[in-house]
Amino acid sequence: MLATLRGVSKVFTNPRTGKGLVALNDVTLEVERGEFLCLIGPSGCGKSTTLNLLAGFEFPTVGEAAFKEAPIKAPSPERGVVFQEPSLFPWMTVLQNVTFSLRGTEDRAMRYLEMVGLSDFAQARPNELSGGMKQRVAIARALAMDPDILLMDEPFGSLDEQTRRKLDNEVLDLWKKEGKTVVFVTHSIDEALILGTRVVLMSASPGRINKEWKIDAPWPRDPSSPRMVKLKEEMIRGLQVCSCAKSAPQVSFINVDLEV
Amino acid sequence: MKTERRFERGDAVSKALKEGSSHFTFVPEKRRLLLKDLLNVTLGVLFVIAAWWVIAEMIIYTKGALFPTPPETFDAFKNALYGANINGETIFSHTGASLYRWGLGYIIALVLGLAIGLFFGTMPRLHETGMVPVYIIQMIPGLAWVPIAMLIFGLGETSTIFIILVTALPPIVINTAGGIREVPPIYTRVAQMSGRDRWALFSKVLLPGAALSIINGMRVGLANGWRVLIAAEMVVGVSVGLGATIYSSRFSLDFYTAFVCIIVICIIGLAIEKLLFVWLENTLRNRLGLDRED
Repeated sequence: MLATLRGVSKVFTNPRTGKGLVALNDVTLEVERGEFLCLIGPSGCGKSTTLNLLAGFEFPTVGEAAFKEAPIKAPSPERGVVFQEPSLFPWMTVLQNVTFSLRGTEDRAMRYLEMVGLSDFAQARPNELSGGMKQRVAIARALAMDPDILLMDEPFGSLDEQTRRKLDNEVLDLWKKEGKTVVFVTHSIDEALILGTRVVLMSASPGRINKEWKIDAPWPRDPSSPRMVKLKEEMIRGLQVCSCAKSAPQVSFINVDLEV
Repeated sequence: MKTERRFERGDAVSKALKEGSSHFTFVPEKRRLLLKDLLNVTLGVLFVIAAWWVIAEMIIYTKGALFPTPPETFDAFKNALYGANINGETIFSHTGASLYRWGLGYIIALVLGLAIGLFFGTMPRLHETGMVPVYIIQMIPGLAWVPIAMLIFGLGETSTIFIILVTALPPIVINTAGGIREVPPIYTRVAQMSGRDRWALFSKVLLPGAALSIINGMRVGLANGWRVLIAAEMVVGVSVGLGATIYSSRFSLDFYTAFVCIIVICIIGLAIEKLLFVWLENTLRNRLGLDRED
């Protein structure tokens, strides 16, 4: 196992308001070396918390988070993160951003910038790039750290559908080429179906793991093939049985995805 | 370099509409914008002068007091520029003395303020406690420092510089510490996962991230220090300085000179705040790769 969460619960409390939130309740997750794991689930189901625990930005209230059999005590270049929000330093050039990490040599940086098709923009500032280009740079930065695992937190959530599809395929290519392990958080079933070798479905209030599927279909995958459609229906049913599905917005977004 | 013919705004707009393109460029209208700014400033200044004149005439009429009117003051101003004697000195040596005290007080405030601000900004556990004295000092009005400065340093330059320092200090500390603390946590996370040390986090992430807020604190501090000049020069013990001259006009009854000094204070203060700091902020925004908020 490359990374594991063993019986992890994560509780957030606000000492001023006296309110508490159980973000994760008794979650056990094992990430295998080389797999492309997609975490799906409605907003507030603890997907991001799970990723933050693996990254070392947060720590379990109960249970254990481990990487290569050792407890995770701090963030490390071994676990590269691609965030959903813009995370490039605006005061650095693209190249400086990618070489910022301890292991980000210029050679490696240029290689990965080339891989994401942005070597011409090495000297540009992030504010000269589009949203999709910024996320490409963030991916190049994470890869230049030479991580063992790539943690991606809805990396294309704020991009338009077309750009997102394109970047999904790029990530898939990079994963095949580099042989890295990827944990990919998304709320789109379609995205998970196109990408993952394994899909883990989480449910909210409190966050926990609901169900999982191993997908061994080859790429490129056709989301309209009978098998994929069947899988998708299963996942939608999985989403609906969880308690959170009682509230309207989460159900409606499933329908939206269905129509796509 | 490819040379591209750029059109005036109106032509560029109609060209874009005709050709169905979505983005276009045109010759920036820098001169027009500058003229507009100049016009706005001129109108504003004219308004102030008009209001001043009306009030002056009303007071002269109702009270018979010698309230300086704009033309009289401008005459006095002209004389001062030609080197007229004001309390045994020229307007230039008064201005120079004030600028010196202000500069010295401000530089000490800057060094202290940046050091204290950076310290509390990077020490979250000490921040809340550490800021309490700063907020208290900030609430003390400029004039209230006069007796305190007198008790500590007596009459003299030191007291003056102390008052300038202590009024310039709080905004620098607050904005520096606040700026560091308000750097988005995601940047800190990126630095942490990059495996870089705390110094890199501080110098490459927190400091540039806080730079605009720090500059803002520096600007407010500088303005505070300048505005407190009259109070500060009450305790200077000599009659040299713009503030000292204004203060002594209540004995000398030379209100024309006092008005000249007020005008000089306004001009210098505005020039530094509106020209120097606006330029500084724009340069910094550019260097930090931040888009201008306009």
